[in-house]
Amino acid sequence: MLYQLGLILRGLPWTILITAVSLLIGCILGYPIMLGRNARSLPVRLVSIAFISLIRAVPPLVWLFIIFFGVGTGAFSMSPLTAALIGLGLIAATNMAEIYRGGLISIHHGQWEAAQALNLGGAHTFRDVIAPQMFRVALPSSATYAIGLMKDTAIASTIGVPELAYQGARLTQETFQGLKVFGMVGLIYILLSLPIAWLSRRADLYLRAKVAR
Amino acid sequence: MPQQLRVVGQHVGKEAPLALTNKPYVKLEQITKSYGAHTVLRDVNLSVHSGGVLAIIGPSGSGKSTLLRCINYIEPPNKGIVTVGDVTIEGETPVSRRDLRALRSKLGMVFQSFNLFPHLTVLRNITLAQERVLGRTSAEAELIAMQLLTRVGLADKAAQYPSRCSGGQQQRIAIARALALDPKVMLFDEPTSALDPELGLEVLSVMRELATSGMTMIVVTHEMSFAENVSDHVAIMADGCILEYGPSREVIRNPQSARARQFLRAVNER
Repeated sequence: MLYQLGLILRGLPWTILITAVSLLIGCILGYPIMLGRNARSLPVRLVSIAFISLIRAVPPLVWLFIIFFGVGTGAFSMSPLTAALIGLGLIAATNMAEIYRGGLISIHHGQWEAAQALNLGGAHTFRDVIAPQMFRVALPSSATYAIGLMKDTAIASTIGVPELAYQGARLTQETFQGLKVFGMVGLIYILLSLPIAWLSRRADLYLRAKVAR
Repeated sequence: MPQQLRVVGQHVGKEAPLALTNKPYVKLEQITKSYGAHTVLRDVNLSVHSGGVLAIIGPSGSGKSTLLRCINYIEPPNKGIVTVGDVTIEGETPVSRRDLRALRSKLGMVFQSFNLFPHLTVLRNITLAQERVLGRTSAEAELIAMQLLTRVGLADKAAQYPSRCSGGQQQRIAIARALALDPKVMLFDEPTSALDPELGLEVLSVMRELATSGMTMIVVTHEMSFAENVSDHVAIMADGCILEYGPSREVIRNPQSARARQFLRAVNER
């Protein structure tokens, strides 16, 4: 059993890698997408809304297939890992954009008015007044999403990324002990989600204590 | 000490020539504001001289706050002319960003709900715009912020976050934040309405001190004692119009219109 666990754990770095990188892509790309979603210019807004809707309307699994088997086999081939990072990164970006937007909407209009009255100007208002509060409000939903994303990385196994679910599937084919193997896989996912939840709660409590309204 | 640091709070004299020429410093002409079919302000005219303190009173929904917010264009009027010092903006024409900045640089504003930045310390609330808008160094800005915090009696709160301060303290910090940009006129939008009477009093005493120091002030308020004793002029508004305007005591003790008498009677009976 320890031997089997060892085989499964070979997938752990891959799961962590895909989760971390696609979340990072999401957190960074989500910001300009959210800005586009709220842009004053109508064309920019429409393109952003269309992009968000398109990415979110297609199941993540199908996106990975489109990227890996579709785009990846054409002009430029890519590794399963690259395809998974691109697919999950884009999906994370659109989801993070909507999470940021929720944070933005929650900010009291008085904050904008105060910044206006102080002559702060658009860029400073956003950077110094609005964005910090937006990120703070977005933190708990972002952590929830990070846990969801971590679990979604299991679909990368379907295009051959050797992460946890992939190792579980391979081992099951060899041993026919599906319940035991995937039980261990499931347990590892649970153990992975705990530190994320714990960290986010700590950060949230810290910020809440500091800035409680 | 750099010269500009010495003038904090010394608003007397800077605009003295204007006062002497008897030309109003703030002038609103035929301000009209409507939301769709609902007209909030109709052809409102009003002026305030340099160093003057005007209280605007009247029932809720009379357009007092909207009028105040039209002065610094947080609420752009549909029609009319706003003049503050040497800046004139006409309601019908598109407003350039430059004019808007020039207008707002002369006006400080204090809100009913304080609107401090909750993620910044009290000190940072006051230094932020000084650095970003006036280009002061952080050392200069902090020195001025500490002087103003001392002036409003809250120097010990500099390192705290606004959430750790009472409503009255938050409002005094908001006053300090506005004063830090050296405004020529301070606009107050019901500054004590969200406060209990005791906390309101500490804000009113700061405002009284400010008025005494010669600051030009326009105050939308329900505080009749402030209107009567601190402001030199009072305007009574109802239904988007100014019913009465004149020296405070005259207007409050001897209102001419029936609507104004009715409002003042209701206020006095409370």
